[in-house]
Amino acid sequence: MKRRNETLVGLVLVLGVVTAVFGSLWLQGWEFGRTVETVEAVFSDVGQAAEGNAVKVRGVRIGRIDEVSVHPEGEFVQVVLRVDADVPRPPDAAVVLAPESMFGEWQAEIVSRSLYPHFQFLDPNEPDVLPGYALPDISRLTATADRISENLADLSDRIGIAFSEETAENLARTIQNVEGVSDRLTQLIEQQAATFDVLAARVEEATGEIGRAATASRTTFDHLSDLMATGEVEMLLTDVRDVAEGLQSLTQEATTTTSEFQKMAVRAESTFARVDRILGAAEDGEGTLGRLLNDPTLMNEVEATLVQLQLLLEDVRENPRRYLRLSIF
Amino acid sequence: MTIQLDDLHKSFGQKHVLRGFSLEVRDGETLTVLGPSGSGKSVMLKHIVGLLTPDRGQVLVDGQNVGELEMNDLYDLRRKVGYVFQLAALFDSLSVADNVGLGLHRVGGFREDQIRERVRECLHLVDLEGFEDRFPAELSGGQKKRAGLARAIATKPKYLLYDEPTTGLDPLTKAVIDQLILKMRQELGVTGLVITHDMESAYRVSDRIAMLYEGRRRFLGTPDEIRGTEDPVVRAFIEGDPQYLERRETTVEEAS
Amino acid sequence: MTTRLLAPFTWLGSHGLSMTQGLGNWGSLITDTVRALRHVDVWGRLLLPQLARIGVDSIPIALFIATFTGIVLALQASYTFTGAIPLYFVGVLVGKTMIMELGPVLTGLALAGRIGANVAAEIGSMKVTEQIDALETLAYPPNAYLVVPRVLAGVIMFPAVTILAIGMGITSGWVTSLQLLDMSTPQFVRGLTLFFFPFDVWFAIIKATSFGLVVTLVGCFYGFHTTGGAEGVGRSTTKAVVVSSMLILVLDAFWAVLLL
Repeated sequence: MKRRNETLVGLVLVLGVVTAVFGSLWLQGWEFGRTVETVEAVFSDVGQAAEGNAVKVRGVRIGRIDEVSVHPEGEFVQVVLRVDADVPRPPDAAVVLAPESMFGEWQAEIVSRSLYPHFQFLDPNEPDVLPGYALPDISRLTATADRISENLADLSDRIGIAFSEETAENLARTIQNVEGVSDRLTQLIEQQAATFDVLAARVEEATGEIGRAATASRTTFDHLSDLMATGEVEMLLTDVRDVAEGLQSLTQEATTTTSEFQKMAVRAESTFARVDRILGAAEDGEGTLGRLLNDPTLMNEVEATLVQLQLLLEDVRENPRRYLRLSIF
Repeated sequence: MTIQLDDLHKSFGQKHVLRGFSLEVRDGETLTVLGPSGSGKSVMLKHIVGLLTPDRGQVLVDGQNVGELEMNDLYDLRRKVGYVFQLAALFDSLSVADNVGLGLHRVGGFREDQIRERVRECLHLVDLEGFEDRFPAELSGGQKKRAGLARAIATKPKYLLYDEPTTGLDPLTKAVIDQLILKMRQELGVTGLVITHDMESAYRVSDRIAMLYEGRRRFLGTPDEIRGTEDPVVRAFIEGDPQYLERRETTVEEAS
Repeated sequence: MTTRLLAPFTWLGSHGLSMTQGLGNWGSLITDTVRALRHVDVWGRLLLPQLARIGVDSIPIALFIATFTGIVLALQASYTFTGAIPLYFVGVLVGKTMIMELGPVLTGLALAGRIGANVAAEIGSMKVTEQIDALETLAYPPNAYLVVPRVLAGVIMFPAVTILAIGMGITSGWVTSLQLLDMSTPQFVRGLTLFFFPFDVWFAIIKATSFGLVVTLVGCFYGFHTTGGAEGVGRSTTKAVVVSSMLILVLDAFWAVLLL
């Protein structure tokens, strides 16, 4: 009886410990009986990636994220990956962090850097560390759009300051870009429309707005050259207001999709209110149009945000599901 | 060195059970404390092994004040005092042998075979040989009492406290138990303190008899003295006649 | 005059006393038990039978409950998710709820009934038949003899039994997913591993340990405070089960607030 008790108690305890330890390890994604090694990568930002997320090569899971920590000097994020040692990695390996599915969990994919020339990988200082880049997610897309509108508003602010032919050209080019981007977004959404009709319709509407806004601003800048000669100030101002309204309604559109957008919309609205005020002031004849647009740094920033937007759109094209999760939650 | 109770007071809530009880048990004697049920006999007994502590007064066992002992000293003292419980209080989950041997395990320093030998000896003393492997549930009332006695004497105590040893037994078994109490004194030389309300048994086993009444000692004397006492309370008790007190009161009134 | 001035203090004192008496009883049980830990010679050889009784003998009921919980979780999850959320989320739900909540709590409640009642009834009947006094007279500290082995066995075995129950629940959920929900093993495992953190297992172990402590302590407490014969034993048993079940739920919330 006593011997039997001893055996049973021992058995239960051992079984409990074994279940707990091996169960946890297995659920954490340990691959028993494989040789693993750790790989380090650096990122300027890791999005939603966290310890325990999958590491993949060409879509196949080969390990997990072991550690995520901000560099002591706070300049970048170090991520340690635990991966199978016997899976070959490309010579110019880089790590891309991206959402794994539409439910919020992320993954780290080891890719060949040359395949993604436009990704802004963070270059490491040490030889064995891989460069990394985290894809922006939907909230950053909207944040970018927000920044563009803010910059445009800023631009309008500057209208009161100076104007030169060169900056006018810059502006014209920028607006052209906006138009190009929105065209592509429209195409893209049309492609996806069949699959994701509800949301897509909404986004399509929104991109239509961008398109309209861009066209309007295009007109503005078509007029811009005339403007120098004819001084059709009033017409220009009407057009710029059109741009502003277009973007405003786009932002309002976004508001209906998530609460994340709401904060942004409030900001955007106040921005546009400011634009209106300044335009009103311009109409009243305060300042000269020539002084409005002579700040190249502003231009550059608008350009930079547009590049980001373009990257994002490319990503949307490649992984549409990533961005269309809003309809589910 | 003996058991000495001085002016013992004990209350439970509003119930004042002991109100200045004093008693001295002499070395080697068997002293019986009589008293009606609920008069506080068991309470008094529990003070001696420190299961209860007095509100006032003190209990001295071999000169040590039980109520003020440290836990370890109290445990040492308890080894000198065997306690035979009213319903034996055998551990249901242990065999008779394990029950009897339990105290020895606690004392320590014995080998298993020594303990077995001692258990056999004790069971022999109470005429329970061959019952080692039985469980308490398989014993009769008298056998349980004897097993309880065997457990109490296993550690060779100097004192034995008997809590109503014969209550609830048939006359024959009562006689057996009484003989055992006498045997303990004769063969082991233990000092005994018996509490009971059974007069027959008290006369048989006692060197002296005391009576606890309303929390105080009402009487103390030899069995012969108690037979001849004129104290109406004691007489009512030993004659088992509740009317005695009333009748006597009327007689006294009439006489005056 | 003085008495009237002192009246509030008297009132406070007497009410405070009666209110703290219960707490005091608990306190003395706990301190006595902690002190009794040093009597290894007393409780050492009593631990094994308690480990067997509290742990091993509880395994059938724990596994039984876990099996059916796993089945129900899988079916309900699929019922809720179908059409809206990919089915591999069945794995997420079964895994998360079994590990973090239902495994520890249902096992705890089942064992509160089994162990709490058993301990309270056993100690209670020992109390009313003077066996606890008898222990004292044999120089055994009752806490070392009765409480320590039971509480230690509870603290050691509850987590082990809970872990096995969790394993069983997940396994039954998995089998249900394969047999009744047309899911594949990789799908189920994907869900299982998706949001798993090692902390989840610690959380379960911490909960189960505290449940083991509470169930055995409450059983001992009501056992020791039993008065009034067989009826009293019955009362203590009921109280022990009710109070330990309630404390399990309170502790469950407490750990969730503290650790999540």
